[in-house]
Amino acid sequence: MARSDLPFRKDNAGRFVQWLVMVLVFLSAIAATVNAYTDALLTHWSRSVVGTMTVQVPPAAEGRSSSDAARDAEKVLAALKLHPAVASAKAIPREKIVTLLEPWLGSGAAITDLPLPALIDVQLRPDSTNSAASVADLVVKAVPAALVDDHRVWLSRMTDLAGGIGKIALGLVGLIAASLAFTVIFATRASLTEFMQTIEVLHLVGARDDYIAGQFARRALTEGIVGGVLGLVLFAPTLAAVVWLAKQVQAGVLPQVELPPLHWFVLALLPFLAGLLAMFTAHFTVRRALRAMV
Amino acid sequence: MAFNRKKKTFEGDTVQLENVSVGYGEVPPIISGVSLNLPQKSFHFLTGPSGTGKTSLLSLLYLANLPMAGSVKLFGEDVMDASRSRLAALRRRVGVVFQDFRLLDHLSVFDNVALPLRIARVPEDVVMQDVKELLNWVGLGEHMENKPAVLSGGQKQRVAIARAVVNRPKLILADEPTGNVDDKIAVRLMALFIELHKLGSSVIVATHNESLVARFPFPRLHLENGVLTPRPAAGQAG
Repeated sequence: MARSDLPFRKDNAGRFVQWLVMVLVFLSAIAATVNAYTDALLTHWSRSVVGTMTVQVPPAAEGRSSSDAARDAEKVLAALKLHPAVASAKAIPREKIVTLLEPWLGSGAAITDLPLPALIDVQLRPDSTNSAASVADLVVKAVPAALVDDHRVWLSRMTDLAGGIGKIALGLVGLIAASLAFTVIFATRASLTEFMQTIEVLHLVGARDDYIAGQFARRALTEGIVGGVLGLVLFAPTLAAVVWLAKQVQAGVLPQVELPPLHWFVLALLPFLAGLLAMFTAHFTVRRALRAMV
Repeated sequence: MAFNRKKKTFEGDTVQLENVSVGYGEVPPIISGVSLNLPQKSFHFLTGPSGTGKTSLLSLLYLANLPMAGSVKLFGEDVMDASRSRLAALRRRVGVVFQDFRLLDHLSVFDNVALPLRIARVPEDVVMQDVKELLNWVGLGEHMENKPAVLSGGQKQRVAIARAVVNRPKLILADEPTGNVDDKIAVRLMALFIELHKLGSSVIVATHNESLVARFPFPRLHLENGVLTPRPAAGQAG
């Protein structure tokens, strides 16, 4: 470590900064990971629904028999199979629909007697996911009462949610950075007061403001990095515990998604970012304070 | 001694004070209307009763304060117009022995003396050599690694003097530098100042030790009631 003219080892303000950086980096890591997980989840979900469509053919209405409805479904299926963008189109068997509804409507005779729509699951070719609109047109032309859901509304709501979480995470990180800066300012001022006599001597033997501020800045950088690394050390078992708990939850509710390498890189950078922020803040604070001297 | 680093040269007087007043707030100024030119390579005693502003005058010269009126030029440079970094550069050319030493208690004797060199970014091997040599010369070779707290008053004073002169300043200001040492050491310390003076530094020694003033053939500046009066040398070469 570089030689210092100031007795920082005796100074408690510095240790406080280190402790606080630990907590702040820990919180930033959580905020960043929640944000990254939300993004990854969204990508995971959108990947599984983009290129799929669900066509609902309404059940027999008054004046129509259920065989009319079945014929409508056949018509839609036939039309879909002719469209070049459609990779496959399958009617979902009535038993499966009943099973899907069971959690809400219960099982038994009541549900099997319900007039249920026919559902058709459509997979588009990977290179023609943009043709969703023309496929929907085709379906409606074949059976005007049919409803086409290409999940866009759902997906856009999920994107909004993820965007909101991202903004909150960013705001948190901003608050955390501001807390760090303010703490460094106050801790540096406390050290300045404590070391005033030493600083005066350095000043009077011709030290430039940079020389004195540099010593505070180096100390703040070290404390920021050490505190930041401790924060990550604290974060690792926390993350492991959350992952373990998530695995205990029924699969499907929280899908296992891989976080991108960039995320881990950003986490690894956090201690250095905290150190740099502390360094610049300390430098700035000391330079300002020294201006009170001739 | 092996202090042969090149220093910036300048024309004219080391110190030029013109109509300088020093004071704090509403009370009458401590020093009023002092004008003074100290040529290069001069040696002066600064005398006067305690509390007449000797320390204030010195602090003006080591740029701890600026005057409330008048102009101060050091090495030909007007300090009122100088930037902060220029002021720092000017301070590096002034060596000060403070009355209360102002040693840094957490640093060793060696590091205290090395401070001005390190601040001036002198290479560490030169620092090692110069500081050791100087500390041996002032008789503190055995105490290099000690902290100031374990030294006697006289030893601390010698550390303070070593720190003031280690960077071969062009102006040396000493505030009662022989106050805590016996006559034998006082003469030895004076000999150090005289040697630096011969090597080209201007020296001002503030003292109220009349026997010291009488012993050396240097003119004195007498400060009393805020007014500075030059007096010719009274002493004999010692």
